[in-house]
Amino acid sequence: MTGGTGRATPLDAELAAFIQGGVSVVVASRNAELVADVVRGCGCRVARDRCSVTVLVEPSRAGTLLDDVAGNGAIAVVFSQPSTHRTIQLKGTDARLVAVTAADRTVAARHLRPWVDDLCRIGYTPAFADAVRGHPQRLAAIRFTPTAAFQQTPGPGAGQRLAT
Amino acid sequence: MAVSLQSLRPCFEGAVPAVIATCARDGTPNVSYISEVHYVDAQHVALSYQFFSKTRQNVLENPRATVIVIHPCTGAQYRLAVRYLRTEDSGPLFECMKAKLAGIASHAGMTGVFHLRGSDVYRVESVSQVYGSPLDAPPAPEVDVTILRACMSRLSAAGDLASLLDALLDMLADPIGIEHAMVLMHDPSGERLYTVASRGYEESGVGAEVLPGAGIIGTAAQARIPIRISHATSEFGYGRAMREDAERRGFTAGLDDEIPFPGLPGSQSQIAVPILAGERLLGVLFAESEATGRFGYDEEDGFMVLASHVGAVAALLEDEPAAPPREGTPAAGSPASPRGAPLRVRRYAENDSIFVDEDYLIKGVAGAILWRLLRAHVEEGRNEHTNRELRLDPAIHLPDLSENLEARLILLARRLEERCPALRIEKTGRGRFRLHVLRPVVLAEIAR
Repeated sequence: MTGGTGRATPLDAELAAFIQGGVSVVVASRNAELVADVVRGCGCRVARDRCSVTVLVEPSRAGTLLDDVAGNGAIAVVFSQPSTHRTIQLKGTDARLVAVTAADRTVAARHLRPWVDDLCRIGYTPAFADAVRGHPQRLAAIRFTPTAAFQQTPGPGAGQRLAT
Repeated sequence: MAVSLQSLRPCFEGAVPAVIATCARDGTPNVSYISEVHYVDAQHVALSYQFFSKTRQNVLENPRATVIVIHPCTGAQYRLAVRYLRTEDSGPLFECMKAKLAGIASHAGMTGVFHLRGSDVYRVESVSQVYGSPLDAPPAPEVDVTILRACMSRLSAAGDLASLLDALLDMLADPIGIEHAMVLMHDPSGERLYTVASRGYEESGVGAEVLPGAGIIGTAAQARIPIRISHATSEFGYGRAMREDAERRGFTAGLDDEIPFPGLPGSQSQIAVPILAGERLLGVLFAESEATGRFGYDEEDGFMVLASHVGAVAALLEDEPAAPPREGTPAAGSPASPRGAPLRVRRYAENDSIFVDEDYLIKGVAGAILWRLLRAHVEEGRNEHTNRELRLDPAIHLPDLSENLEARLILLARRLEERCPALRIEKTGRGRFRLHVLRPVVLAEIAR
């Protein structure tokens, strides 16, 4: 994340692990008219230096989101663990589409299982969780430098900026 | 693919969280989970406003946003383009969302965390299905018009309020299949609701009271709107409502006089709809189930149709003048003469409460009516009565308007049936009835 100097600072290691676990990933951007679009993603990958995050989405589900990201780079991503409601939002201004790598495809494939397991823990059926998540044939990868992180777990602390 | 908002009503039950994306004026997007998206009508939804959030700040400065909802059966996702219009912090929509949110909070283990500050109303400008591979939808619940028609004609055929309410509860059980239900009537003078009929409970609970505004029954009455809860919640549970009700009234005689509220111990789903005659609140129809999510939007529609018909029929029945005594009705004085040990009946003038031997029977207007009937029996040897004579008696303190005398007679008759079979009220015609006294009675009045 950027400190006062504008230099990227790495994500906290625990936070990086959390957002790469079995969490729901919801990605939003906006168009030139400042109308936001949103899509449920299928996983996320944090760079080795923890200074950038790549979120994976299925293009056919993404509405205008990929065009919006390409147009202005604004992004907000919420990561939420269904069973605990723990929720974190990351924001960035330099989001861009990048080539999907083999590693990204592995992440998307691996993300499904723990997420379905977590949903089943709170009473959803595997078939339902599967239907929500889908089995993307194609993927798009959006990479950005997180410039702000917010705690959004429901409760009194919701909306607070996380210290970096 | 264009989709009608109405066809998405299951998405608005709160079973699966929705998300909303908004954008600040400086172009920064924001995405957030929403606890409750409420279906208002075919063009509008309302979102729960629980605390001042970035989402709220954004829509106040830039009203256009995108919501994604998930169908709780199929997993299909729908994208709603919405525009923020206004916030309501009181009134029917707010009350309805408040009750529903309490159920959602309970389901999510968030009781006490979710607190509704307002209902943010949005116009839905377009709806489209997100590409995906949803599960097959279960067959839509059959809103069987043929059954509904049969129910309506049975209700129309009722000759008095008691048989109208019995028909309603019987039909809910069979053919509709809702086995735990009750009707509470509204007492405008005492500002409370009292149970007059129920089905499916160990104790009928006839006479049990609820204050307007308390629990889902009281909220449906006060706001005159249907209220549904799909998951058990302590916040709107009647246990708590009843306790608060007693505390608020500062019931000096203690809870011993209270008639316990009937109820399913494992109740998960509840619905309460107002029974209205025009603007006037007649009562509330309540049902519950041990299954979660038992009452959806379709059931709510069905309940509202039945309750509005019951309200109209009940209003017509109220205006009926007394008919002459039925042909073949035995003449006055013919009932068996009282025998056996005397019943000691005490009346506390303070609140017209009546005790038979040591047991509490009834209070209020119904108590005053019974006292009058017993005095007529003891002092004049008279057991035949008309509704008209009760209406004219100043000692009964019937409110001038919407006196709902018939409902009080039903309450009294049923309490006697359950608690004091030596006394019985028999309807002998429209606006007429007879008191049967099977044991001698001794009356004692306890002054204020």
